[in-house]
Amino acid sequence: MSGENATPTPALPPREGRGKTAKRLKANAALRQIIADFYADGHRAKAEGRPVGWIPPMNGLIELFYAMDIHPIFPENWAPICAAIGTNSRNFASAAQRGYSSDLCGYFRNNIGYALDGIDEENQPLGGLPEPDFLISFGAGCIPTMKTFQVLCDHFDVPVFRADLPQVALEDIGEHHIRYGVTQIKRLIGFLEDLTGRKLDMDRLSEAVAYTDEACRIWDDIMETRKVVPAPFSAAEIGIMFVMVTRHGTKVAVDFLSDVLDEVRGKVERGEGVIPNEKIRLFWDNIPLWHNIGLFNYFEKWDAVVVAETYSSAWTMRMDPEKPLESIAYKSLVSYPLVSCVSLNKRIELVKKAVRDYHVDGAVLHSNMSCKPISMGQMDIQRVLHDELSIPSIMFDGDHMDGDKFSLAQFQTRVDAFMELLLDRA
Amino acid sequence: MSFEEMIERHIDIVMREKISSGRPVIGTLCSYVPVEILHSLGVIPMRLWGQADDLHEADALLQSYICPPVRHLMAMGLEGRYDFLDGIVHCYTCDATCGLFNIWVRNLEPGFSHMVSIPYVSIDEALEYAVAEFRILIDKLESFTQNEFSGDALENAIALYGEVRSHMLEVYGLKAGGLPISYSEVYSMNVCSQVLPVEMMVKHLEEYLEEAKRKEPDGGRGRRILLTGSVITDIPLMAFIEDAGCNIVADDTCLGLRLLGEPMPGGGDPLERLASWYMARPPCASRADFPSRKRYMLDTLEAFEITAVVFAHQKFCDPHLSDYPFLKGVLEEAGVPSLHLEMEEEGFAGRAQTRLESFFEMLETG
Repeated sequence: MSGENATPTPALPPREGRGKTAKRLKANAALRQIIADFYADGHRAKAEGRPVGWIPPMNGLIELFYAMDIHPIFPENWAPICAAIGTNSRNFASAAQRGYSSDLCGYFRNNIGYALDGIDEENQPLGGLPEPDFLISFGAGCIPTMKTFQVLCDHFDVPVFRADLPQVALEDIGEHHIRYGVTQIKRLIGFLEDLTGRKLDMDRLSEAVAYTDEACRIWDDIMETRKVVPAPFSAAEIGIMFVMVTRHGTKVAVDFLSDVLDEVRGKVERGEGVIPNEKIRLFWDNIPLWHNIGLFNYFEKWDAVVVAETYSSAWTMRMDPEKPLESIAYKSLVSYPLVSCVSLNKRIELVKKAVRDYHVDGAVLHSNMSCKPISMGQMDIQRVLHDELSIPSIMFDGDHMDGDKFSLAQFQTRVDAFMELLLDRA
Repeated sequence: MSFEEMIERHIDIVMREKISSGRPVIGTLCSYVPVEILHSLGVIPMRLWGQADDLHEADALLQSYICPPVRHLMAMGLEGRYDFLDGIVHCYTCDATCGLFNIWVRNLEPGFSHMVSIPYVSIDEALEYAVAEFRILIDKLESFTQNEFSGDALENAIALYGEVRSHMLEVYGLKAGGLPISYSEVYSMNVCSQVLPVEMMVKHLEEYLEEAKRKEPDGGRGRRILLTGSVITDIPLMAFIEDAGCNIVADDTCLGLRLLGEPMPGGGDPLERLASWYMARPPCASRADFPSRKRYMLDTLEAFEITAVVFAHQKFCDPHLSDYPFLKGVLEEAGVPSLHLEMEEEGFAGRAQTRLESFFEMLETG
């Protein structure tokens, strides 16, 4: 699962409606370059003989990678790019041919299909993914993420570091969980030192952790601006999350997010909303439909904007550069339960807080066939929204990767009725 | 009373035991819950297992793309069949049962609830961590039951569950050795070992073994089958395979052989021994990496002289569906034919029967 691998797919123009979204953030131009650079860096590292490691998302290992000049690749972050450019169908077909059920998570099917077959194709966008020199296989995150790496470990003949990351509800994380994480990170450091022939410089790791901490702080500030009416940007800009996944631990993320913050604060100061006549503010639950990110613009037909999402809270954390190992262990433990049903009560609290803080009028819940950990508990969320906050909501069936499991016509019909209801209440 | 009859009546049996003994009953969702700890603190552990009268009761809380076993349990809970439970304990294994645990706790509000976050992989650091997790469970149970944990009580529980597992392994051995024991009986025994009080199970297994040993061996008819999947509850499927002249001598499911493991060695700290034992058990698809799944598969093929494998997967079961192509490859390398069935909500139905018939015909002619 882990919807944290935001992809900067360009927001498509509304398929219907008044086409109001002309106000994409200027930062998107910089973001496109950051994405291109990220993959180009990976290919350059490969060409120069520097190690490229494939790792699961949602953990604190990226800081360690950058501190040791190792280029990380997140297959799960690649999947939304495949969905946006349309190569997902080919990857699904490859996975199916190899015996993987079409009921399995779309990230899983895409990444297996890509890594086992698609990776060899010519002329891929962004050059495709550089093959791994080593793999980190966790017992961690959701089952599909864990299984993805088990398949990759079986396929690629490269060194594998196996580690563990138990699922713990946010409110239950204790000292022994951190201690367990730190022990394994120390073992990983030994693995990486052997691999690279270089010692880890703890000062560089502290610096990387400080960059992540700063990025998380700026991220919260950026999200804070969306509390203002009218909201300066919508969920269609969620691609900015790319740096939170791939460039944590670097100045790249801090600089980019600082620019985003300046831009959105400027919009707030000028009273410039993402649409000129904002009437309805929406909350979005679950991962976006990466194959149709422009769906967020559909709401604008009704002067509605998605102002908050479940998983943008996945980065609401702080890191302590004085305790780098404990910090990355903590980050590894908290990212997943922040957005999944490992702790349903905590997640419901976050939704309630977001609805209040962001002045939300209604909620749209994406019942996501590709992600059980985020989707389970959505009926409880709906009931709490109704019973405790009198916030109406709708739930629609979809899939964050597979367009064949989503009906746009049904979605539009339901959203239209929902918006009429919300406008009546306004 | 046969094991099958005991499954039918298990909720009544446990409720009666609760009333007569005054001990609380705590439901479990997975075999990784260390039942020995629950028992040592005066709790009757009972694995939640079964089928709801109306599966659609679950629709109010769970989507249709959640696996049928999880939806059945939720529906049973909503039907009020588990109202007598004093609590629920889970070990995080698959995502669907984790979600079920959370939704159950939120909606059915048991008096006690706890999730043990066990290690996923058996690495060196895991033991200390697993012991720490077990200690948290102990602390919470002490507070809930007002009973004090003792090493002696845990030793006693370890011995009782060890006895049950040892008897069950003997049953598997007798069946594999040629005694006419149906796999439906073995399955029923497996379920009973999870849902009934352990003391009761020891007694019934002793009687069962005594009777089984009086049977005349039939030489172990037909092809020797390994049945693999997650939660397989379809007795008609098991009966169909054996009625077709095959012999299911081993399994790789959420019940059965994988749960029995090796006998636990004595000596040392019982809590550490217990944690080591759970970590060393042949891992389920939710916890294992491929090498350990492969090892278990190959070991089982050899130990039970398996000639064919039937995969029976629940629809939407991520861990097992993800493992399937890999394991199929392992079997192909080993030269063991296999068939894959995906179970629907209605269980073992016509299409699966036809595929099994074709598979058996292929084996005969092949």
